[in-house]
Amino acid sequence: MGELKYELSQNAYIKLVLHARKHKTAAVNGVLLGRVSPQNDAVVEIADSVPLFHSHLGLLPNLEISLIMIEEHYSAQGLGIVGYFHANERFDDLELDSIAKNIGNHICRYFPQCAVLLLDNKKLEALPKGKDRSPVMQVSAVFVCIELSNYGVSVSFLAIKRFWL
Amino acid sequence: MVTKTEETQLNRLENQVDNGGGGAWEYLCLVKKLKVRRPDKVLRHGLSILNDPKKRSALGPDVWTLYEQVSIAAMDCQCLDVAKDCIKVLQKQFPESKRVGRLEGILLEAKGLWAEAEKAYSSLLEDNPLDPVLHKRRVAIAKAQGNFPTAIEWLNKYLETFMADHDAWRELAEIYVSLQMYKQAAFCYEELILSQPTVPLYHLAYADVLYTLGGVENILLAKKYYASAIDLTGGKNTKALFGICLCSSAIAQLTKGRNKEDKESPELQSLAAAALEKDYKQRAPAKLLLLTSALKSLKTS
Repeated sequence: MGELKYELSQNAYIKLVLHARKHKTAAVNGVLLGRVSPQNDAVVEIADSVPLFHSHLGLLPNLEISLIMIEEHYSAQGLGIVGYFHANERFDDLELDSIAKNIGNHICRYFPQCAVLLLDNKKLEALPKGKDRSPVMQVSAVFVCIELSNYGVSVSFLAIKRFWL
Repeated sequence: MVTKTEETQLNRLENQVDNGGGGAWEYLCLVKKLKVRRPDKVLRHGLSILNDPKKRSALGPDVWTLYEQVSIAAMDCQCLDVAKDCIKVLQKQFPESKRVGRLEGILLEAKGLWAEAEKAYSSLLEDNPLDPVLHKRRVAIAKAQGNFPTAIEWLNKYLETFMADHDAWRELAEIYVSLQMYKQAAFCYEELILSQPTVPLYHLAYADVLYTLGGVENILLAKKYYASAIDLTGGKNTKALFGICLCSSAIAQLTKGRNKEDKESPELQSLAAAALEKDYKQRAPAKLLLLTSALKSLKTS
């Protein structure tokens, strides 16, 4: 299994946080774009994110079309789909539901080092108020702290366990 | 469900009020009529009216509905003190009122005191067993606790009595979709299409669920409903056009080995693709290349 490091760029982080904050009363999701770092095989650079939906997350047609178009667009920049982010509808819900797991599994088939980010709604709510600089998410049901390049926050790193195994 | 014209009108009013152009009362009335959820705006502009005694008296008897609207918005924004104050004012004016009792129940919900809220609603329901709002609040409690089986059970019971409540059918369908219970969601949309066959939204949602269920027959049926959605919207619905392309590609894939006895007319897909390209050329020309390559990959996959 080994240790994998994910570098989340500021652009990607901001987009996914803004998407979640815009639709406070709904579950939202989106994909993460990036690539394996050319310098280091154990690092995945998440360069960008694309917010997807804020309603009917479990319906297939919209997802299929979006993924086709996203892949086409980003392959021109040398990036592929490397992960998925999700924020739950309820404030204190920290469980990854079956829809998120299914999408994560699907992405994992094409990119084995896929990351699934679940946003922590409590931290999301506190974001505009506090000085808390810790990232508002946990990765795949195991607390992982991600090194946010350009964001000026680096936190200690733990190994990621693949939740679907 | 809000039409596009209503939405543009709402946004225009919202911009106007936000930038100090007045019209707060019209905005609040429109929000109430369309039943949209804009708690932060309602709270801000509602309070600006309520805290000003001149504006308050100008409203006359409507001021009480405003108190109700603002209290619900306050609870939505978790400003429970504001909500409590509004409810107190209403209690003084209408003691023993069931409507105010309902608001108190919602306040308990907002505080997260589910058991107390449940008790409050049950006692209110004893006196009015046919109040739809109380039934729906009970469903909301179950949903807020993440207790989906209970929410579904309550909602189904509610729909046995109030079969014509379209919003409830939609809510049930959405809960089913979020739990990936697509067959049951399809049933809900079927009920909606039966009662309101000219609303394209239901055709679209039904087609989406059928496509998600998968299987050749479901996808063939989905294609028909995408086509009817296009028909009902005069060809303007992008999702339905994409749906046709997806269905055609999926059917082609699924029936690859079989005989082409009932080959669906390929014109529908090429027409849908052409309509999409025209639409993109008009509205998003920068993304046209992306669209064409996506459509191509759908045709060949």
